[in-house]
Amino acid sequence: MNLTLPRFFWSEYRKRRKKASLITFALFWGTLSILLLMSFGRGMSTQFQVAFSGLGDTLIMVYGGQTSLEFEGLPKGRQISLYPEDVDYLKERIPEIMRIAPESYTYLQVSANGKEINRNIHGTTAEFAVMRTQVPQIGGRFLDADDVSQGRKVAFIGWKIAADLFGAGAGDAVGKQIVINRIPFTVIGVLVKKIQDSMYNGPDADQIYLPFNAYQQIDNRRRINQIHIQPHEASQSKLIEARIRTLLGRKYRFDPDDRYASNFWNTIENNKEGMAVFKGIEMFLGIIGILTLLIGAVGVTNLMYAVAKERTKEIGIKLAIGARRRVIIEQFFLETLFVFAKGTFWGCITAFNIVNLVRLAPINYDSFGIEAYLLRPVFSLQIFVAYMVILGVLVFLSGIFPALRASRSNPIESLRYE
Amino acid sequence: MIELNGITKVYRTGSQTLEALRGISVTIGKGEFVSIMGPSGSGKSTLMNIIGCLDTPTAGEYRLDGEKVAGLTFDQLAAARNRKLGFVFQNFNLLPYATAWENIELPMLFDGKNGRKRKERITELLNAVGLYDWRDHRPSELSGGQQQRIALARALANDPPILLADEPTGNLDSKSGEEIMAVLVELWKEGRTIVMVTHNDHIAAVSERIIRLFDGQVI
Repeated sequence: MNLTLPRFFWSEYRKRRKKASLITFALFWGTLSILLLMSFGRGMSTQFQVAFSGLGDTLIMVYGGQTSLEFEGLPKGRQISLYPEDVDYLKERIPEIMRIAPESYTYLQVSANGKEINRNIHGTTAEFAVMRTQVPQIGGRFLDADDVSQGRKVAFIGWKIAADLFGAGAGDAVGKQIVINRIPFTVIGVLVKKIQDSMYNGPDADQIYLPFNAYQQIDNRRRINQIHIQPHEASQSKLIEARIRTLLGRKYRFDPDDRYASNFWNTIENNKEGMAVFKGIEMFLGIIGILTLLIGAVGVTNLMYAVAKERTKEIGIKLAIGARRRVIIEQFFLETLFVFAKGTFWGCITAFNIVNLVRLAPINYDSFGIEAYLLRPVFSLQIFVAYMVILGVLVFLSGIFPALRASRSNPIESLRYE
Repeated sequence: MIELNGITKVYRTGSQTLEALRGISVTIGKGEFVSIMGPSGSGKSTLMNIIGCLDTPTAGEYRLDGEKVAGLTFDQLAAARNRKLGFVFQNFNLLPYATAWENIELPMLFDGKNGRKRKERITELLNAVGLYDWRDHRPSELSGGQQQRIALARALANDPPILLADEPTGNLDSKSGEEIMAVLVELWKEGRTIVMVTHNDHIAAVSERIIRLFDGQVI
């Protein structure tokens, strides 16, 4: 491509550009708005995802219940409970299940380091870690298969528990002993700080996890509270739910269509709905941004119309010495681009810096509030590309009409214009 | 080279019509120096604009180099103005924001000539009109005579066979006017066809032939 003519137009533009400072500011402001709104929208979606994964990753939780339908001569209103053996029973019969773990919990006194607190104590297995995003801090670990099979007296504790019992240096808790129901347990790991917006019995930061067999020594109930399941594919969650209803119905003799005999917390479905809402918010914010930038673009169109009028004579001269229509259109487009470039460039730079500055702000993990969603905007390549596409369309729309009008000028009338 | 046959130009403004040219038939051969003279409103400039492919006749036929101008598109007319015709206007019509160099360069840019060719030609033309040292000046920094010499250089940029000069000395002092006329005569002697509109008998006298217009007709 021969760039001589565009270079010539640039040199002409530079020599005569007027300070269209209001339009430059409108473009700057529009760019800043659209990029910040998109970044904050994306940030909120991402944080929602992060917060949601604080509870678990593609997780289905199964609970017992009470029958609401008569079944095979049995009355309604029967209590349906889950038992440890149901874990293997379901795993063996449903190939779509990738991971499965039982969970029981009870509220007990915990003492250590001369302090006493009351907290929820849970019994579970090693697979619980991945499903419920139980990530240990450096130097520690979650329960493993041997801990469970041998009923080891070990505990994985939330970071708040570690802080409550052992002070701020929670990392030091590993290797220390805590006493639950007069039985000593060795701390093997402390949970990392994480955002968690969904929970039962409070945030994971405030929980203690023991190997299931060891837990049974402090809680002699046979039945368990719930079963955690992770499918191979998120799309299989509804299918797994239906199979569980059928299998448990067969085992405990209730109608598989009885909605109250077994209960489910299907986080995959909840997550889908939540993401749809956040995607909607993201799009809405993007549209507001586009509308803001549009104000700047309308300003540019106005400016270009004024430029076309102001340059009537000049266009006439160019036509007289042989400029083709394309040359005039090209010049107007380039000029539109030059006007856009200034405001939008600084808008991009400012938005990028604001996003990175905001991301430096700390998030309070103790009280998971609005700031956790707002203070982590994301300025991604995808956002930048989307912005460039929108900008391209606006440059085209702003430039095309003034350019076409200028290119259709009559050379004689243009030359006479004073 | 230039054949006009029964050229009529009618301007319509609302309900009024003005017949600027009434059936003009003129032929200008290759290498001729022709002056067009006539009082104000006689149709000189209209005729010049039609010859220069800036305007189209209402009726009649215009052939440039044997080619019918009426059949040409907007861009084909632009190409004819760019390569076959060079314009010199009374009020110079230089681009105010461009330097002398850039003003001369523009027709060559429109013609797609490469950088080396442009540079050589501009240098040659600026030397020919004696303004090489003024190449980086804008029109507002040049005298009327200098501006017209730059305009003349621009008209010659693509080496067109025909030069159209519309009152080229009209806005100049007599000395500058004489200089411009000397250049025009020189160009004519080199074989170029020159068509010049003028009011001035003294200036018209240098041409080979004078076409006199009155009320839109050749007299």
